[in-house]
Amino acid sequence: MTTPPSLRELARAWFDISTQSVGGGTSTLFMIRRILVDRHGWITLREFTEAWALCQLSPGIHLVAFAGLLGDRIWGVRGVLVSVAGLMVPAALITAVLTAGFGQIARHPLTIAALAGVAPVSGGMAIGLALTTAGSVMQRGRMVAIDVAVVAAACAVLLLNSSLTIAVIVVAGVFGALFLGRKRPTSSEAPTS
Amino acid sequence: MPEQVTLFLIFLKASALAVGGLASLPLLRADLVPQYINDAAIVQALAIGRLGPGPNGLYIVSLGYFVAGWTGALLALVGASLAPLVILPATVLARRWLLSHWFGGLVRGVALGTGGLLLATGASIVQAGGTQWWQLALVAATIATTVQGKLHPALMIGVGAVVGLGLGR
Repeated sequence: MTTPPSLRELARAWFDISTQSVGGGTSTLFMIRRILVDRHGWITLREFTEAWALCQLSPGIHLVAFAGLLGDRIWGVRGVLVSVAGLMVPAALITAVLTAGFGQIARHPLTIAALAGVAPVSGGMAIGLALTTAGSVMQRGRMVAIDVAVVAAACAVLLLNSSLTIAVIVVAGVFGALFLGRKRPTSSEAPTS
Repeated sequence: MPEQVTLFLIFLKASALAVGGLASLPLLRADLVPQYINDAAIVQALAIGRLGPGPNGLYIVSLGYFVAGWTGALLALVGASLAPLVILPATVLARRWLLSHWFGGLVRGVALGTGGLLLATGASIVQAGGTQWWQLALVAATIATTVQGKLHPALMIGVGAVVGLGLGR
């Protein structure tokens, strides 16, 4: 590893990642690799890959856990704060401003017409990302049938009774701990050199 | 309990119990619709979240804004930023535990379960937004481009808006 950065340099790097990666997920991941590994050398490719594998085990937004793990590696606790805030705050501010701006035009008839076309796109994105997320942890070969059954069962239960979200997650977790623990989770988004 | 605390706990819980950025949506929809917002706000938050930069999971900030303005956006941001950081003490205190077969299985089970929940939520959003032929065609096209992952999401949102302006009146 080259000379560790100052906290200001680290914050600057995460600010660039936060504001320049549009579209989320993989685009943000590659931006992080390009800036922290390739450009600055603050993190080795091996550390990068290990942290990405580890953050697949975290709840919520994996990129937040990833920023926390990398920040900790580079600068300790203060690095965690600077990295997570640097990743999240600028992008969150832009998102909130966009939402506030949308409020100004929300009741216009043209907006309402446009939203009739945006609703199916939003629904399609949720379905597409559900398939991608589930697909990234699915087993290969014959065992995939069990994974597909878990996804289908969770989907069916929620369609029948919308108040069972937490029950579905608990049952799926227990089932996973008992029967799905043959190998560690992997992600199709895992960076390869 | 003050309203802000309740909202913060809703955002924190949704982020803590789901694996992956958008996986918090089914939990949030269960807690927020119809008490605080309707499905139209969910649709708008998803679209705005994908238009802005950063992780996909930032739609939660837009959702927070729809629920309670700037305070809601802040509460959502803090909840979504705190939950994943549990991985830091976990890697120090329970690394062996994290790498065990059963824990890997638990995370896989939760990821598959939340994936199924998100699938159902996506279907509900589609149904609430309307199911005319051109809307279903947009759903199919968006699923295909999202899974493929090459096309910028803002492009599909733009296409949806233009088609809506042409056919949605």
